[in-house]
Amino acid sequence: MAGLDSKKNELLKGTLDMLVLQTLSVRPLHGYGIAQQIEALSEDALRVEQGSLYPALERLQKKGWITSRWGESPTGRRARYYTLTAAGRRQLGNEISSFDAMLVAINRVLRRA
Amino acid sequence: MSLLDSVRYRLRVFTRSRQHEQELAEEMEFFVNAEARQREHAARGDVSAKAARDGARRRFGNATYYREEARRISGLDVIDTLGQDAAFALRTFARTPVFTAVAVATLAIGIGANTAIFSAVDTLLLTPLPFKAPDRLMNVALTVPATSASRARDDLVWSYPKVEAFRESQNVFSDLTAWFSTQNTVRVGDDALRLSGEFVDSHYFATLGIVPALGRAMLPTENRVGGPAVVVISDELWRAGFNADPSVIGKRIDVDIATLTIIGVAPPGFAGVSGKAKLWLPFLSDPPVWDNALFRDPYNHSFFVIGRLAPGVTPDRAAAISRELGPRIDARFPETGPHSRHWGIAARTLDATRIRDDDRRTLFLLFSAVGMVLLVACANVANLFLVRAAGRRREIAVRLAIGASRARLIRQLLVESVLLAIAGGVASLAVAWVGVGIISEVRPGLWSSQSDSGVGTVFTDQIHLNIAAFAFTAAIALATGLVFGLVPAMQSTRPELTESLKTETGVASRSAISRRLSMRDAITAFEIALAVVLLAGSGVLVRSLVQLVAIRPGFDPQRVLTMRVNRAAAWSRDSISRFYDVAVDRLRSLPGVKEVAIADCSPQSGGCSVENVDVLDRATGPQRIGTGLHWITPSWTDVLHVPLVRGRSIERSDAIGAPLVVVVSQSAAREFWPSDDAIGKRLILHAHDTARVVGVVGDVRFYGVQQPPRPDIYISYYQFPMSFRMMVHILTAGDPAVVAEPARRALREVAPGFPVYDVASMETRIGSVLAGSRFLAQLLSLFAVLALVLATIGTYGTISYAVAQRTREMGVRIALGATPRDLTRLVVGRGLVLAAAGGAVGLVGASAAVRLIRAQLYGVEPTDPVTLVGIVVLLAIAVVAASWVPARRAAGIPAVEALRGG
Repeated sequence: MAGLDSKKNELLKGTLDMLVLQTLSVRPLHGYGIAQQIEALSEDALRVEQGSLYPALERLQKKGWITSRWGESPTGRRARYYTLTAAGRRQLGNEISSFDAMLVAINRVLRRA
Repeated sequence: MSLLDSVRYRLRVFTRSRQHEQELAEEMEFFVNAEARQREHAARGDVSAKAARDGARRRFGNATYYREEARRISGLDVIDTLGQDAAFALRTFARTPVFTAVAVATLAIGIGANTAIFSAVDTLLLTPLPFKAPDRLMNVALTVPATSASRARDDLVWSYPKVEAFRESQNVFSDLTAWFSTQNTVRVGDDALRLSGEFVDSHYFATLGIVPALGRAMLPTENRVGGPAVVVISDELWRAGFNADPSVIGKRIDVDIATLTIIGVAPPGFAGVSGKAKLWLPFLSDPPVWDNALFRDPYNHSFFVIGRLAPGVTPDRAAAISRELGPRIDARFPETGPHSRHWGIAARTLDATRIRDDDRRTLFLLFSAVGMVLLVACANVANLFLVRAAGRRREIAVRLAIGASRARLIRQLLVESVLLAIAGGVASLAVAWVGVGIISEVRPGLWSSQSDSGVGTVFTDQIHLNIAAFAFTAAIALATGLVFGLVPAMQSTRPELTESLKTETGVASRSAISRRLSMRDAITAFEIALAVVLLAGSGVLVRSLVQLVAIRPGFDPQRVLTMRVNRAAAWSRDSISRFYDVAVDRLRSLPGVKEVAIADCSPQSGGCSVENVDVLDRATGPQRIGTGLHWITPSWTDVLHVPLVRGRSIERSDAIGAPLVVVVSQSAAREFWPSDDAIGKRLILHAHDTARVVGVVGDVRFYGVQQPPRPDIYISYYQFPMSFRMMVHILTAGDPAVVAEPARRALREVAPGFPVYDVASMETRIGSVLAGSRFLAQLLSLFAVLALVLATIGTYGTISYAVAQRTREMGVRIALGATPRDLTRLVVGRGLVLAAAGGAVGLVGASAAVRLIRAQLYGVEPTDPVTLVGIVVLLAIAVVAASWVPARRAAGIPAVEALRGG
């Protein structure tokens, strides 16, 4: 079971990281906010298990692309807010351009075939 | 920036792992709650709270899995498993207490001894000298080439005229100072103190870059004959003698026969180049504190010279220029006579001359020896680990089989060895503590208090466990842990080890066993080889010490008490003679005293005069010859039992007015008048006093037991009165220590105001001369014994393991008719093969290593056959002992049990 899950996650891992960075590039958000934002923007096309967000958040923090700090949610509850760092912003730029490059390449291949 | 955030994150995870974990759970909880509320809200009450919550949970996925995944990524799991590994390691240690104790003790001894020796090295060699920019200071010394009688020297002191000539002709030193250390009687109030001082020229403070804390130093312009009679005192003397009175400048102080004006107080802690000076006296002053003639004689060599490099001049260049100037200075002060030599000049950095070359060699020797002990210790622990890892192959194989990763297993084994190394490192601090205590108390024998350049600012009592030594220990401990942990860890987790699940039942492939055994064998042989090197080194040193102790010094030190006395003021010649009489009579009347004499110095205690005398009545004509010159009172030869060979001794009637007489040693008689009887021959002392030889006495080894006797001549205090160097020798009926205090009191009575100091029995003095050799021999022997014990343990471990591995083979042998004796021979033989291999390598290494200590040897060749045979015998005994227990075990194996598979 764990094997299946990790396979699915592996496929999406890079993409998920990029989406999280993109979401945070607008403003700091807590975990649930990030998930809602991604689902709304992708119109539910990227349906991943919401829990997979957390390993991704730890990974991004470890790399120094995002930082976190506890704050208060609009409903008055304690929530951890994530912020994009300057390095994260640079990383996002890099990822978008390499993703674009890959899309172009894939498109080219598909059209030829 | 990203690095900083990243580090901050990791640090938080590491330092607040529990909190981080709780927060992660809290956050996920918050997420699910928010999603549930969202669903309830969206359905406008159509779904129950429970259904909404369940939906949210489903949407979130496997929370446990994601939490674990997040934990893994954050690094929390590593912290967990490290804790687990440590706990597991501790349980393992508790299960194998003998292994643990031996491993920790082995490391503690190896590392501890290293720390202690490194502390000594650090203090004696690495601490910067306490002068301004000490790396710019150079010791400048005179050199002489080797002659048939003496070796070449490059560390000799200067005469002042030569210093001045050199100062004027060189341009590589911006400042140059000449100095030598003295003992002075200083009167402060009613007290007469005997203090160490330094006679210095006026460049001294400027050259060293020392600025007095109060007042001023002597000015270079004051560096002339007849300059002001001034003195700089130490901070210590200022506080003790003048209550730290700031108005001390300009006050007068009596030093020996002169009254000097205090012009400065040295900064706190400064004790001169000699490291013990309490006052600095100008030697060119008027009135002179010392005989001014000394400084005008170009052949009276007494001064150390230190130069400060001029800006931009390298030490090499200064040394080259000094060397070039040597012949020019020599040409200005040529020596005449058959023993004349050409003097040269050598400059070395002051730092390089801070301790005697002999002491440097000793330190290097100890450092190498102790390094070898550490190597043996590490090899031993590595071997223990190998044996143990082999014993745990089944456990490791099982863990691999049920899914443990190799990385995890290696990490666990490494945690074990690092923990062990840390335990060893901590325990070693205790060993080091004791070791440093021992080394720092060795005085003055092992380390000379002054080096050949006069530098005495490094002292053994300053040796202490320092931070550097601690870091050094920690580094060794950690490196050792990693090194010996890694080998077994890699070896015992080799992938094919799943095979060992089978091998336990006794069908191991032969190659696997033999390969592993050869590794252990090599380590054991290596240990034995190192032990042999240390045994050889300590063996020849002990033999050398035995030879030294057996030397007859030419006098009998037993039951002789000695103490130094000094004049309090200038005395007339008559009053000095009266003092000798009164003092000797008063002391002789004390209970327990058999005989009393005074001499200017006593054997093997330093401070004896060496002067040139003109020897007359020679078959080949007069000749100037250097000889030891000793002032004595008549009974001195009786007190020390120096035998009278011919003629008569000095007598009380040999006084002022009577014909000048001299007694010569056998060596002097032989060298001065090789073809004639010495009695009745004449020689000229101090260039103008002609004395006649009245007697010949036995040779006395004045300059150390190792030094062969040189020519010595004895003159009477009553004919050549002198009061500034007197050593009272008292022959006692019983223990000399009992007489010490009464004698001191008696001297106070007859000579109030005389400092009496340096009270010691003659045997103590001689003992301290040998203390260096003795200490070195003891320390090296200790190291050698440690190495031998460790190597024996290593051999025992290896052989035991081999026997355990070959249980089945042993059973087969017994079944086929081998007797217990055969098996014993088989096992012990294996030990002897190891010993032979290690011993052979060790002897080769030893023959090279022992050459290093040739200078420390007396009367023993580095390849001393007695030592070598002794080592072989000792080694054989140790190895047989180490193999005996496993051999008996092998012989006692019941055949059936062995064949069943152990």
